[in-house]
Amino acid sequence: MNITLPYTGIVLVIGPSGSGKTTLLTKLVEEGIIESTEITSSDAYRLAVGDTDFISWNQHPPDEADVLFHQYKNLAEEAFRMMDANIEARCRLNKTTFVDATHLQGEERNKYINLGHKYHLPVTAIVMDAKEETVLQRDLLRKQPRGKRRIKQQFQTFKKERKSLKKEGFSRVYFINEQEAENLQMSRNNHPLLIETGPGIDIIGDVHGCFAELMLLLEKLGYEKNDEGFYVHPFGRKFLSLGDIMSRGPSSLKTIQFFIKHVQNGFAYMIDSNHGWKIARWLDGRDVSLKHGDEKTAEEINRWLAELDEIHRESEKTKMREFLLNVPSHYIVIKNGIPVLVCTHAGIKDEFIGKQSKVISDFCRFGDTDGFDENNQPIRKDWFTHHRNGQLIVWGHDPKPQPLLVNNTINIDQGVVFGGKLTAYRFPEKTFTSIHALEDYAGEDQNPLIEWKAKRLDPPNIGNFIDGFKVLTENHGEVRIHADYVKPAIDLISTSTIPIEQLVYLPPTMSPVPIASKLEDYLEHPKEAIDYYRANGIPSLIAEKKHMGSRAVIFLFRNKEEGRKYTGIESLGTIYTRTGRRFFDKGTEENIVKQLNHDLHASNYFNQYGTDFVLLDAEIMPWNLKAKDLIKNQYEYVAHHALLDREMLQKKLSSALEYNSELQLWSKENEIKLSNARTFEQVFQKYCWEVKDTNSIQIAPFHILAHSHETLFHKSHQWHMEMNQQLASLSDLFVKTEYKLIDNESTEEEVIRWWEEMTRDGHEGIVIKPSDYIAKNKNKLIQPAIKVRGRKYLHIIYGMDYLLPENLQRLKERNTGKKQKLALNEFSLGIEGLNRFIAGESIERVHECVLGVLAMESDRIDPRL
Amino acid sequence: MQLTIHAKGDKVNVLSHLLAKNPENLYERNHKGHIIRLFYDRFTDNEVEATIYAVPDPIVLTRDRANTYDITHYINDREFAVSSIFLSFIRSALSTGLNGLPKDEYREWVDHEFDYTFSFGPVSTSLKEKELEGLFGPLGFELSFMYPYGKGSPHYLVLKGKTTLQRGLRQLYVLIPVIDNYKHYYIDEKEREKLERYGEGWLSTHPQKSFIIQKALRFKELFAKMEESNINPKPVPSKDKVSLNVQRYERIIQIINAAEDKESIVDFGSGEGKLSTKLGFVNGVKEILAVEPSERETLKASKRFNEAASHNQFNMPQTIWGSLFYYDERLKHKDVMILCEVIEHIDIDRLKKVMDTILGQYQPKLLIITTPNSEYNERYDLGQHYRHEDHRFELTRTEFTSWCHERSHGYPYLCSISGIGDEDEKFGSPTQICVFEREEL
Repeated sequence: MNITLPYTGIVLVIGPSGSGKTTLLTKLVEEGIIESTEITSSDAYRLAVGDTDFISWNQHPPDEADVLFHQYKNLAEEAFRMMDANIEARCRLNKTTFVDATHLQGEERNKYINLGHKYHLPVTAIVMDAKEETVLQRDLLRKQPRGKRRIKQQFQTFKKERKSLKKEGFSRVYFINEQEAENLQMSRNNHPLLIETGPGIDIIGDVHGCFAELMLLLEKLGYEKNDEGFYVHPFGRKFLSLGDIMSRGPSSLKTIQFFIKHVQNGFAYMIDSNHGWKIARWLDGRDVSLKHGDEKTAEEINRWLAELDEIHRESEKTKMREFLLNVPSHYIVIKNGIPVLVCTHAGIKDEFIGKQSKVISDFCRFGDTDGFDENNQPIRKDWFTHHRNGQLIVWGHDPKPQPLLVNNTINIDQGVVFGGKLTAYRFPEKTFTSIHALEDYAGEDQNPLIEWKAKRLDPPNIGNFIDGFKVLTENHGEVRIHADYVKPAIDLISTSTIPIEQLVYLPPTMSPVPIASKLEDYLEHPKEAIDYYRANGIPSLIAEKKHMGSRAVIFLFRNKEEGRKYTGIESLGTIYTRTGRRFFDKGTEENIVKQLNHDLHASNYFNQYGTDFVLLDAEIMPWNLKAKDLIKNQYEYVAHHALLDREMLQKKLSSALEYNSELQLWSKENEIKLSNARTFEQVFQKYCWEVKDTNSIQIAPFHILAHSHETLFHKSHQWHMEMNQQLASLSDLFVKTEYKLIDNESTEEEVIRWWEEMTRDGHEGIVIKPSDYIAKNKNKLIQPAIKVRGRKYLHIIYGMDYLLPENLQRLKERNTGKKQKLALNEFSLGIEGLNRFIAGESIERVHECVLGVLAMESDRIDPRL
Repeated sequence: MQLTIHAKGDKVNVLSHLLAKNPENLYERNHKGHIIRLFYDRFTDNEVEATIYAVPDPIVLTRDRANTYDITHYINDREFAVSSIFLSFIRSALSTGLNGLPKDEYREWVDHEFDYTFSFGPVSTSLKEKELEGLFGPLGFELSFMYPYGKGSPHYLVLKGKTTLQRGLRQLYVLIPVIDNYKHYYIDEKEREKLERYGEGWLSTHPQKSFIIQKALRFKELFAKMEESNINPKPVPSKDKVSLNVQRYERIIQIINAAEDKESIVDFGSGEGKLSTKLGFVNGVKEILAVEPSERETLKASKRFNEAASHNQFNMPQTIWGSLFYYDERLKHKDVMILCEVIEHIDIDRLKKVMDTILGQYQPKLLIITTPNSEYNERYDLGQHYRHEDHRFELTRTEFTSWCHERSHGYPYLCSISGIGDEDEKFGSPTQICVFEREEL
């Protein structure tokens, strides 16, 4: 006799004491078919909790027997309680458990059947169909015989229950008689949901009968049609459909046939989905209401079937039905033996992964629904907010304009049938490839991509952020935001920043020169910045003068109506700081924005660039506009302390010199320090001037971040600087920024000279950037900008005596590694968020980037860098 | 940071022995990287002047202290100011003087009074001239000072008086930290002992005694340990304000008690958890979600809840890190949602969306909003000011009424608006409240 056991679940071995249950299981362990740890036996638990597996009360006078009976009853109860807890834990962990107990009572078996249901696991029964005589004989050989009477009692029950076993809800019931038990062949199924990554898997979103786009996508992915008509990848990659291959689109039948062929021949995989299930049930002759494009699919299939002869008609129909009915609810992709990726159609709960049941299939088909809205559309709950187990889940079903990475889940249904895109997610590369729809095939009133746009400005779901999150960026892969930093960032957003809808970008932090200057009396020098880029293979650079003011992002709309269209807030624009706070008080902001709006219109800027808005990254001067308190309470206050201290000491030392000439040395030393204090006091004065009205304010825009139809990260920095000059010419509020290009040794020297001159004057310094906005070396992002601050300026950063050799030597040991890492993360988040904003994505998707930058800014880092 | 000790008097040259510093040599010691120096610039039989100063290592100084992630930490007056840091630097150099333990043959001079001048600076203080005089005057010092960079800038102090070296130094050791206005100074148990030791013989009779102790110990836990009786407790907030708060809570609880459905309550902007704690004692309430975006407030709230938990009847609120500007599915379909004195802390144009989320998505059966009635401010004599500096707006009764109707327009809610607190005939009540009741569809 052959028995194939399921890969997981509960296996009840049923039969009276002595019917051969333990013997069978011991044999299976010996044969290596099951592990001893998979067996749970009530005998073992009785021993474990009560030191004995049986208490006999036979042959005792009634008063003693009664006590012994109760002792045994208690022992059995405790043992089962422990055993059941163990079995339940194993069920949660998706393990197989062989339960070795008599299981003679219906309610005992029912308990395990319910447990199986609860944890979506099959419950199999193996019934040891031994003869009563044999069992009675065996009992006599036992160390603790159960006794004739007891065995006979058990057999009576067994005979009665035996008949109903098949109807109790076991997934399979096997009866094994004595002979069969002797030469039983038992094997176990492999896990049907596991697939190996192999040379790679290309996961494809909802096709919905867009066959043409599917072909284009496969070709773009490198699949080639072979002689037998199969699309095969030269490296042996396979493609995996997330389901919903049919309905709404033009070629559902062709697509279904394509997948049947490829899946059955091992070139592709497919999983179950709501449309697939509906069509399968229709093919099965069930009474289903065909809608949402399923009626189109049915029509196509009917037309095709009508053309076939009767025999083929039935067999083809069966083939299609069986295919659709048998695709699994989800797949788990194994990499290096570890189940790292899960593919499902509409969603999955962590505790469902790797299990199969009706409930799980339904969840995977429809996702987590929260009833229906007034249009009878399911209200979808964000099932992915609860995903925690570390596996990456790829899903489709719910069209989004862009692949949506939330909480380690990726949605790759980009609504090709609604005129969106057909997306493939390549694993293990973790990249996206997509094909634009050739047209909007659905033509329905309820276009989810359009509805998505209407919901664009809905408040972000806090559940997606609060426990930490990841942002998938185009340029820098996945950026992780730790929960500890998210909370203070959300606090800031809730109390201090401008509205979320306007806060579409935050500028990244910038690293200073990665290595300290080799020159003895410099901490920072342009040489090391240039060397950094040279070492990263960047031939041409740009050096821009760094203004000493406060960083600001300026969002300017063509008119208030456009402001409302893009941000939901009727406004000409806003100006905010690098932490998202309003830069000016509301009145001043309104005046400045109004003036800028006027100046931009006067020079026809919006029409010239065909844009509804412009987003600028800028420095606003003077420094004291924002830093008034800091200057007064910190820099000026400290300067006065140092001056008073060192001046008084100088007086005392000079007068004491008469008495003690040895004081010369101390006096000299203090004199240098006094002059350092004087330098310090002068440095910051340069960045301050009195602000009477907006005429005293200078704005130096250095990045034109975006126009309404595109971000401008593909433009070179030279272009941005030329735009800066243009802006400076069209408004009195804007000022020019000086810059120089570096492309050979002489321009390099020229820039160094230029830096030395301006910093000797007390200017802050320069920023050196690659000529491209986004620069990479060997496909890896490199620092987008490096600041080189002047010797004088650094007095207010590192302290007035920082240039003293004993101090400078130690300060040169600084490490910019973490700062550089933050700079790259924030830079890529900024670009990602703004690209999303321009692509019309939801504000939640934009906000996750902004919140990410804000959170990173609460990371602990040396603020002097 | 420097201290000059000048003394006049017959045989005042014993000072070098009292200090245990040889006038023939320069004194220089390294204290954990910081250099401490002392030199004499006058040394005769009847006049002596010595200056002790520290040259701190700025890098060590900033490295060893907290706050290293704040830019203000690196540019700091601590490197210069005469403060407890300076005192600890020079402590060992001055130990003979402070302890009054010169070599035996000079012991008799320890209690000998000379005409002393102690001058030191820069001093970073927020005390006024009068207050400084109040501290040093009673000790017999004549005080003068200079601040060459203007009134708010650091001072250089000169104290003249007849005293002994030991007494003078000890008084400086107690009073310098008192006048120094540094806030982040770490105070531990040792400070209290030091205060008791150095204050011996003069502090107990000083008229500013409680002020000195309060300032020196700063934190009330330590402060309470000092056996000190005549310290004024902090003034309690005015009675009027307390009762208004309580009246608000009482009204809200009254409304909840009368409500049919009250099992689940959301206290939005729960702050330090006062209202949520009260809700924890309301019969019939099973779930209280205290939603707050600030960690500090949430910690305070948790503490309050834990204290209340000792009562049997208390239903522990659950703190939720949340914000009105985000969507949180956990807040959907609750019985009651409360925004008690919350909306006025938000820019009014951001509120429209907040209300859409609450009424359209969360859909509580009852929404309770309270906010100040700006008309009543007349009674508080606030002029153009709001009641709290963080308030972004305050509404008149008419404004609030029309705001409530506008916000609930298009949603199945009925508004009823009233006042909380003493009603003024002309200005109404200090607080306005609106209850939005969801109509069954």
